[in-house]
Amino acid sequence: METRTESMPASVATATPLRSLVIAIAGSGGDGVALIGDLLLKMAAHQGLYGMLVQSYGPQIRGGESAVVLRIGDREICYEGEDTDVLVCFRAADLKRFRGSLHLHDDSLLILEEKDTGALPEWLGTTNQPVYRHPFATWDGDVEVAGEPKNMMALALLCRALGWPEELARQAMAERFSHKPALVDRNMPTFRKAYDAPNVPQLLQLKGHGVPLVVETGNEAVARGAMSAGLEFFAGYPITPSSEVMETLIDELPAAGGRIIQAEDEISALGMVVGASFGGVPSMTATSGPGLSLMTEMMGLSSMAEIPTVIVDCQRAGPATGMPSRTEQSDLYHAIYGGHGDFPRAVLGVFDVVHARDVMFRAFELAENYQLPVLVLSDAYVAQRRQIRDGVTDRRDKPRRWRWTPEDGPARFAITGDQPVNAFRVPGTPGGTYLAAGIEHTEDGNPSADPGVHQRMSEKRFKKLEAIAADTRTWVRTMGDPAAAKGIIAWGSSYGMLREWIESHPEYRVFMPEILHPFPIEAFTEWRKGLLETTTVELSYQGQFHRYLSSLTDMNGVRSFARSGGLPMSMRELGEMLGVPATRKER
Amino acid sequence: MKPKDLRTELLPVWCTGCGDFGVLKGLTQALSDLEIAPEKLAVISGIGCSSRLPGYVKAYSFNTIHGRALPIASGLKTARPELTTVVVGGDGDGFSIGLGHLPHAIRRDINLTYIVMDNGIYGLTKGQASPTTELESKRTRGLAGGDEQPLNPVLLVLSAGCGFVARTHAGNMPHMREMMKQAIEYPGFSFVHVLAGCVTYQPRNYSDQLLQRSYELPAEYDKSDLGAAITAVRDGRFALGVIYKRPLEEVAATAGATADEDWTPPDAVLKQDLPTE
Repeated sequence: METRTESMPASVATATPLRSLVIAIAGSGGDGVALIGDLLLKMAAHQGLYGMLVQSYGPQIRGGESAVVLRIGDREICYEGEDTDVLVCFRAADLKRFRGSLHLHDDSLLILEEKDTGALPEWLGTTNQPVYRHPFATWDGDVEVAGEPKNMMALALLCRALGWPEELARQAMAERFSHKPALVDRNMPTFRKAYDAPNVPQLLQLKGHGVPLVVETGNEAVARGAMSAGLEFFAGYPITPSSEVMETLIDELPAAGGRIIQAEDEISALGMVVGASFGGVPSMTATSGPGLSLMTEMMGLSSMAEIPTVIVDCQRAGPATGMPSRTEQSDLYHAIYGGHGDFPRAVLGVFDVVHARDVMFRAFELAENYQLPVLVLSDAYVAQRRQIRDGVTDRRDKPRRWRWTPEDGPARFAITGDQPVNAFRVPGTPGGTYLAAGIEHTEDGNPSADPGVHQRMSEKRFKKLEAIAADTRTWVRTMGDPAAAKGIIAWGSSYGMLREWIESHPEYRVFMPEILHPFPIEAFTEWRKGLLETTTVELSYQGQFHRYLSSLTDMNGVRSFARSGGLPMSMRELGEMLGVPATRKER
Repeated sequence: MKPKDLRTELLPVWCTGCGDFGVLKGLTQALSDLEIAPEKLAVISGIGCSSRLPGYVKAYSFNTIHGRALPIASGLKTARPELTTVVVGGDGDGFSIGLGHLPHAIRRDINLTYIVMDNGIYGLTKGQASPTTELESKRTRGLAGGDEQPLNPVLLVLSAGCGFVARTHAGNMPHMREMMKQAIEYPGFSFVHVLAGCVTYQPRNYSDQLLQRSYELPAEYDKSDLGAAITAVRDGRFALGVIYKRPLEEVAATAGATADEDWTPPDAVLKQDLPTE
């Protein structure tokens, strides 16, 4: 069987290892660390370098400590990396919230405030390199007062250490602040002064391919992927970490002729989507776990009334409110099994920003073709990251719903031998009026409480799953040597880490389903042949993925590496679990 | 098209004497008067006895889930503004489980007509108290909530800013026909409160009791006066007629869905070239 194997663009498919730098910047609210990361990423993209940025907050989503971890490299990157190569920190005290996100190594460069003598936390590790200190803060005696922008100084020092010209920074700032150009001029003197500071250490000099690249977040990619797949209507309710899907669509969908409503809650959001799609218009919503819980009854309606819907769930640590800005993979059960009664739905998983667009296209394809709810499981780690990606050249035809004409017969829900779906009756079509219902109904759409009808109609609806399973049997991504003796099975945002794992661990092969339900079981059975050791890896305390697989196939002897979310899975952790060193990357 | 041509072949499940028969008739009469073609009409409901109504009207009908008719209709009307969209349901569906959606649908002023058949009881689940069941009725019959005040739905929609509010009685066909016609014609969110009898879980003379407590608003009543409307719905009696109608020159400024009626539906819907394989 043919599955989609991992392939790199020709330009980077050479054997040269990835050269990359992990840069972390930690500060407090007002220091503007997010802006530094944002500008560095822009500058990298401009040079044809790849990279990604994740932002980490303290317990408050607004205000308090914040840090960005940015990784830049000369090949596509969708993993934030292991050790911190450069750490910029304005106050040692700010570090305490970021345990687990930052680790120094022997050659790490530390850039610290000249006057801050606070001890660095032990968990951070140590470096053999001398600390570089810079007068970021302005002091009145012992009290820090407002002064020149620290983030401009940090940006300048990093540019200098990276060997990036001042002009590149000016250009990135001009782009970022196109609405207030005076700001750039006001900040450049601060930038220049720090840029010319003495004895700034040099970092690994990365060379990009020179073709400017695009910076996109997972949520933006989801929104734009949906638009290129034909999205015409969106309704949503703000929720971390998915809100930017709606925000992107507020900016971009009406201009493309679509419509958008910010609903009063998630029940209404999916209700509006069901209503718009009942009207024949490709529609979707985006939410996170708590919202998905509210949408569950409506998911059943979408399936029962055979109305296409696309539901994006940017998973966060649950249950209840959980940890809204932290990632987890624990909505899998809900997506696959959630809801009362028996009803078919399809569930897809998102690997990274690049994959998100492709997944959205497939989601609409399945929803429109099979007239059922399609859930797309993203998570905070993909949704909130900024990733540098190649330009998009999707020229596929948009999926189009099979539209009813009088030749298609009188019964909206006719059971036909050969087809799992019926032509969709778009309101406005003469002669096509019918009753759609969440009540069990006959082939004509008339309400029925006949147990025989219920059995037959359930069977009719579930036929779609068989057809989808046949259509999607190759929707998997395999990586590594197909003959490798050890195997890892994972899904979703673990992709980036595992892609690097197999490069340093050739004894492993990796299986990642792109469709989680119906599960591509044939491809999986084929892939696992000859494995001597197999492990599932996931961010779910219960091990939902492992247990789900156990319900489908024999998982005896397969180890489960499952933990609750918060931080994404790292190579270090995986190495410890598997008893294998998490091989150092090339520096 | 005659009113009876707007009916499907499906026979209503309602009890003989149910007020909902009158509403079905009044609605088809109004639609017939307005010459709305079945294919240009969508009738959306939630769950309840009265929510079965869409199945009896020749239209693109949707009998959805309990309490959620308004969001579904709002999505439909926003995506397909050229469709006449009527939402129907009962007091439990609209004023209990689905109440949270009502002020927001009003706020958006999407051009929907929402007809609530208020019989003051849960009929389908066999006689529990609804948000509009009278206190005395709950107490004498031993229903839950004997110390909970009933809701005044018309006051509620007025305070939420509804631009068209009417009340009618399910036994008064000409009046109901007229109210529904005006509501559908109104170019924003319109609300019709129908006093409807329940012959099974309310006293047999309940419909007459409702009528006895009702009065028609006099000809000199100024329906553009919101203050007068609020006074009229607070005196314990049921004022019948158009209680409030926002002057049309004010409607255009607020009615989002009517401001751009030149909008054309998406290609995927209009084009006749979709595959029919």
